[in-house]
Amino acid sequence: MAAIAQTLRVRPRRDFRFAWLVGPGVAFIVVALLVPLLAIVVFSFWRTESYELYADWNLGNYRTLLTEPAYHIFLARSFIGAVAVSAICLIYAWPVAYFIARYGGRYRLLLVLMLAAPFFTGVILRITALQGLFGPVGLINMTLGELGLPLLTALMYTQLAAVVGHVYLFMPFMVTAVYLSLVNFDFELLEVAKINGARPWRAFVEITWPLNWIGTAIGLVLVFIPCLASAVTPRFLGGPDATSFGMSLAQQFGETGTWALGSAMGVVLFGVSCLAILGMSYTINLRRGGFTGTRA
Amino acid sequence: MSSAGPVRAIPLGPVILGALLAILYVFLYAPILYVIYTSVSADIVWPFPPAFSLQSYADLFDSSLYGAAMGNSLIIGFGSATLSTVLATAAGIGLLRHRSRRRGLALLVLLAPLFVADLLIGISTLAFNARVLGLPGNMYSAIAGNAIQGTSFALLIILSQLVRYDWQMDEAAMVFGAGPVRCFLEITLPTIWPCLLGAFLIAFILGFNNLEISFYNLGAIPTLPSVAWGSLRFGLGPELFALAALTNGLVFTVFAVMYGLMRSGIVRFGYRGR
Repeated sequence: MAAIAQTLRVRPRRDFRFAWLVGPGVAFIVVALLVPLLAIVVFSFWRTESYELYADWNLGNYRTLLTEPAYHIFLARSFIGAVAVSAICLIYAWPVAYFIARYGGRYRLLLVLMLAAPFFTGVILRITALQGLFGPVGLINMTLGELGLPLLTALMYTQLAAVVGHVYLFMPFMVTAVYLSLVNFDFELLEVAKINGARPWRAFVEITWPLNWIGTAIGLVLVFIPCLASAVTPRFLGGPDATSFGMSLAQQFGETGTWALGSAMGVVLFGVSCLAILGMSYTINLRRGGFTGTRA
Repeated sequence: MSSAGPVRAIPLGPVILGALLAILYVFLYAPILYVIYTSVSADIVWPFPPAFSLQSYADLFDSSLYGAAMGNSLIIGFGSATLSTVLATAAGIGLLRHRSRRRGLALLVLLAPLFVADLLIGISTLAFNARVLGLPGNMYSAIAGNAIQGTSFALLIILSQLVRYDWQMDEAAMVFGAGPVRCFLEITLPTIWPCLLGAFLIAFILGFNNLEISFYNLGAIPTLPSVAWGSLRFGLGPELFALAALTNGLVFTVFAVMYGLMRSGIVRFGYRGR
């Protein structure tokens, strides 16, 4: 059968089909995402005055961002927070995803969907609930108070609270990404390694980890990018000293109405994200990574 | 398939890993349970010691705001999930089945939204709509805005599941005279539907509960997240807790049904092991 199919294959027609199938998605992303991003690049060189954008080209917004130390602090704070959250998610997600992929059996899909289900409750409500559990008048602290024990203050309006909040919100992304990679990983390779005398740890370092690095890297990006831009979580969990780059950015488009400066901040945010992704992509070796799943 | 490794003598490893998963579930669901608990308690600010009341549910059904917000969230969720799944399915099949020199570039563009934060998508579409097109906030841009990331997530799920699909079945059908549409409906779809459903579900959840993209694209039109966001300044309405509790009840019911179906093996949801 395959041979007949092979002879029927006509090159130009297949290229044409590729364009018809993939084209709409690509066109949609270009129109809906890339064009608006280009618009804020343009606006970042404009000027805002009393809530109106004026098209006189200048570098003032970038000068502000470069010279105003507050913005450096916001960006550094967001960046360090995002790195910490990504690291925590990476370390915790791997064993969990490994368990689901390897031992989940027929319930694998359900186990993964259960990680996604908290997303049905909106971000705001989940953050409020976290406060209700960990906050100063939350369940844990009131219980500790009743028992006469010292209160858990580390999670009250601190940067640590914001980190915990982000881990809570983004851990499912990391687990799912690693899981989707592991589910296509051929675990027989580990048997081969074992037969050839490799200890489990060595087999993991030399086979499992590198062959699933692409999925892991995607997971890290999925956690890092929203953390870097996060505006809502630090606002409600982080307390007064946790103003993040995203919070400040959102303010430019809300309360203060300085769209041009906000656009420049958006460009900077996008630039930093791109640098992080570029750094990541250097670690990916396409010849070693990728799916090892055997075809049915 | 991978799952069926030979049974080990030492089950300690899996037990520890399973415990880590259980701890993660507890961490993820503790706030959810707190929301459900609060929804039936008399005082949402300090709901201890327990005093129960169904007032928040009564308020929920009396209020028209929440109905409208729920409706809008559902429309955005369904609209963006449908758009995402259709685009991602077509793109996924195209990428896997038809070779092209532009494959790498197409994949890069299709996954690019994963690398752009919600906030950035929100403000850039707001800036573009308001200042370039002169459009006010509207549902269509909110649906499109949410479908941007939805498409990437859906594609990621579809690609990771479809790499193992055997396209020779489709080629066989084509040889026997089935057109591409019929071939898709009768051969491809019956095999891959669980993965499309998964992609649709994820895209739906993302669109249904998105705060930042929807907020900037909608202006004054309420959605559930934006109502929650708005009411946060003067304390969350108890109705929101009630609504979240009802939503979670529905989700848990669906999961229970799925569990039953999986256990009895009536529907395998794409699982092809033992």
